[in-house]
Amino acid sequence: MGDTVVGIVANPLSGRDIRRLVAKASVFPTAEKANMVQRMLTAFGVVGVDRVLVGTDLGGISAAVLRAIGTRTPRDPPWPEVEFLDQDPITQTAADTVNAVRRMAEAGARVVVCLGGDGTVRAAAAACGDTPLLPLSTGTNNAFPQLREATVAGLAAGLVAVGAVDIAAVTRRAPVLRVDAAGRSELALVDVCTSVNRYVGARALWDPAALTELYCTFAEPDGIGLSSVPGVLCPSPRDEPSGVALMLCPPAEATWVVAAPIAPGLVVPVGVRSWRRLEPGEVVEVATPRGVVAVDGEREIEFSDAPAPRVTLRPDGPRCVDVRAVLAGPARNRLIQEVER
Amino acid sequence: MTDTLSTSVAYELKPEALHDAYRTMRTIRAFEERVHEEFATGDIPGFVHLYAGEEASAVGVCSHLDNRDTIASTHRGHGHCIAKRVDVKAMMAEIYGKSTGSCHGKGGSMHIADLSKGMLGANGIVGGGPPLICGTALAAKQKGTGGVGVAFFGDGASNQGTTLESLNLAAVWNLPAVFVAENNGYAEATSSTWSVASDNIADRAAGFGMPGVIVDGFDFFAAYEAAGEAITRAREGGGPTLIEMKFTRYFGHFEGDQQTYRADEVARARETLDCLLRFRGRVTETGQLSLETLDRIDAEVAELIDEAVDEAKRAPKPRAADLTTDVYVAY
Amino acid sequence: MARTISYREAINEALAQEMERDERVIVMGEDNAGGAGSPGDEDAWGGVLGVTKGLYHRFPGRVLDTPISESAFIGAAIGAATAGMRPVAELMFIDFMGVCFDQIFNQAAKFRYMFGGKAVTPVVIRTMYGAGLRAAAQHSQALYPVFTHIPGLKVAVPSSPYEAKGLLTQAIRDDDPVIFCEHKALYDTTGEVPEEQYVIPFGEANVVRDGGDVTVVAIGRMVSVALAAADELAGAGIQCEVIDPRTTSPLDTDTILESVESTGRLVVVDESTPRCNLATDISATVAQQAFRALRAPIEMVTAPHTPVPFAGNLEDLYIPDAQRVVNAVKSVTSWER
Repeated sequence: MGDTVVGIVANPLSGRDIRRLVAKASVFPTAEKANMVQRMLTAFGVVGVDRVLVGTDLGGISAAVLRAIGTRTPRDPPWPEVEFLDQDPITQTAADTVNAVRRMAEAGARVVVCLGGDGTVRAAAAACGDTPLLPLSTGTNNAFPQLREATVAGLAAGLVAVGAVDIAAVTRRAPVLRVDAAGRSELALVDVCTSVNRYVGARALWDPAALTELYCTFAEPDGIGLSSVPGVLCPSPRDEPSGVALMLCPPAEATWVVAAPIAPGLVVPVGVRSWRRLEPGEVVEVATPRGVVAVDGEREIEFSDAPAPRVTLRPDGPRCVDVRAVLAGPARNRLIQEVER
Repeated sequence: MTDTLSTSVAYELKPEALHDAYRTMRTIRAFEERVHEEFATGDIPGFVHLYAGEEASAVGVCSHLDNRDTIASTHRGHGHCIAKRVDVKAMMAEIYGKSTGSCHGKGGSMHIADLSKGMLGANGIVGGGPPLICGTALAAKQKGTGGVGVAFFGDGASNQGTTLESLNLAAVWNLPAVFVAENNGYAEATSSTWSVASDNIADRAAGFGMPGVIVDGFDFFAAYEAAGEAITRAREGGGPTLIEMKFTRYFGHFEGDQQTYRADEVARARETLDCLLRFRGRVTETGQLSLETLDRIDAEVAELIDEAVDEAKRAPKPRAADLTTDVYVAY
Repeated sequence: MARTISYREAINEALAQEMERDERVIVMGEDNAGGAGSPGDEDAWGGVLGVTKGLYHRFPGRVLDTPISESAFIGAAIGAATAGMRPVAELMFIDFMGVCFDQIFNQAAKFRYMFGGKAVTPVVIRTMYGAGLRAAAQHSQALYPVFTHIPGLKVAVPSSPYEAKGLLTQAIRDDDPVIFCEHKALYDTTGEVPEEQYVIPFGEANVVRDGGDVTVVAIGRMVSVALAAADELAGAGIQCEVIDPRTTSPLDTDTILESVESTGRLVVVDESTPRCNLATDISATVAQQAFRALRAPIEMVTAPHTPVPFAGNLEDLYIPDAQRVVNAVKSVTSWER
């Protein structure tokens, strides 16, 4: 039998970058992230999760949850035992997410809930291995994580954790883009983009004039972020294994100019010279001679000269929980008690 | 091969600008390290508070400013002064309390100012700067100069009423102001995660009606871009912004208790994150500046600091009569 | 051409005429425009007691409402002064100085000195002081001694409409920070005030009434109290020389000393509380520099060392009145060793 363990990692820095200034990106209060964690704890309590591992941060989320645990009254709904993962130094970088998720996977967590934007989920995906992820959006661009109410997501994650579901039926392996550049390797869940910016700088991308090439695992017409460009022009559904590759250029030289919502509040003309399907396993060499590789909307790797960065679409990304599938399926019987009369 | 692609990109730094940024950051670092040494000999009177390590913030921001712009600083003001082009030798003389100093020896380290360069002074009062910047920004707006006011303050000052009032006033009056919170994790002995209830200072911005942005304070390029956007916005009448420069790394437990931190871990972290080292690495990798150029700048700066200290030591002290001068304009 | 106007109108006129003359003069304070920054109102408030009424429409963009954030807007006025404006900020009640005192005494007062003579801070902070309106402890104090104590500040305390206009005009033109203290019970009093602009230099006392028997130095509203006492005393054959210093910093000690050299007797009438106030300051200066001339100990007529009470009868006891001045004068004139 053993403990049913669930992990929750929440990024306090998601939704705090320059897009608050150059776009009208959402201001997602820390208090709300802390509330989301607490709502999940209540849901986990209902479905019988034994233990919850919570990542720690210096942004006030875990501190607020700790305070809440300490001030519970008998009238409050029962929560599972909560253990805070405090063994690793807190660096206030993506490494914190990676460390937390790694420890959760090692501790046998049946599912890891991840609160953040595309960047946060990406970091979690790097460490979760086969453990299913449930990404909940609280970041800037949430092309990948779904906007879902936390309590309901908690019920779904809890049901997965206690074994009430056939995992294969309710999870889907997300495809990923692997990019190798300047001796580093990164995984993207949504998009890889090259830009002529020389430096990572403030990380976000908000100037379409700087973009040269765009690769997406999927592209939905109602998406936000860079994938909205192909999403509008040449959609590629999430559940298809292939992706899409675009060559971008200044609008004056473009074949199409797409008015795309590349960040919240920022609908700008993006010039597209050409596009094609990207097949899984295909290794693409970037044509841009020097610049920055952006992963899931954030500038990440500075590169120049040889060897050129390489982008590969792979089918073996993280397994992600489909909340609707969990609750629409037989698992919801766990929430129903037929009363004998 | 000419690089035509980069000209259209915002905040693309040309080699001369990178050169200047590096020189300014190196000057701050060398200045502070030397003051640290000299202070230990007992030659320097009073208190000094050193800015070493945070150069990317001052230079990232001040690179966008000119003489119509004003800045207000903290008691840890040498970095901001140098970034705002206050004369280095006059600064050193002031720290030594000599009559050739920026303030004729009457201000000292915590009050170095040069109003002709828009530097309103280091300030010995925590939170003393932000209201003054509301004033200079108001003046710029009234006179239509296009100038902006930048208030630098620390995590301690972020809790001071004057700072909070100034954020509100700047938003209410739509002032061309930028508030830069330099969060190095500690105000005296008190950790910022304990004393700042919202943990992130930038989170307060929404409550004051302006955008709040968090920036890695150890990264010159990140600071430069964020500051550039905020300053441009202010100049164009878009109102104030709050930028939080984070210099924190591992600082105790997540509960934010006032725990003692592991100084050696912090020291190691800071070494790998040092803004000057990282800057050197990146500009040489992209080929924009060579190691030789950077080393030459280091040598020139070292010489400047040596001269500054020599001249300061040899400079005359103020005369006794200077005690009672400049209390008022006329006498 | 002089005509009769009120203290309030005299201040308003000084502001309006200086704003007309010098576009760098701006006005800011709580409710100084319409209250809540509301434009377009015909009858904008013009300050809680209407002193800045009418300025908002006459000088668009130069009369600013502020939130209740004294530290911020007093500091802003000071900062704007260093940047070339000539702001006149209103600290509604002098009792509120506590919430913005740092900006005044640690920033404005010290810039010129600390920055080696390179800063000019021509800011005026207008503020209401004084008891008598049953406004109670936190809205009735006479705190000008606290500002007087600070090197780098100048302090003006006008006693009449004529003083008010001349001193305020000087304050605005002065390149140093000035605290301009208006007694709230004087706003409706009237007097002769020239239509044209004029200045009263700082550090020049006014001998309001000549007399050879006793020197009575009085601050602000106490000048009229001293004059009333002097009238009564004249009936008893005692001639008072009433001196209005007009500014407590700089203080015209020469005029006071010259008078005491002649009369040999001094009474100081100061509405502020007795520890370290203007009465003690002036008394000590005179005792030190005119000791030989003194024929009697110095008398000080001040408020008691208490907060201002609310109850009307108690407040009336608190404020120095003509009777107490009369008693003090009689005491010094009848003193025998």
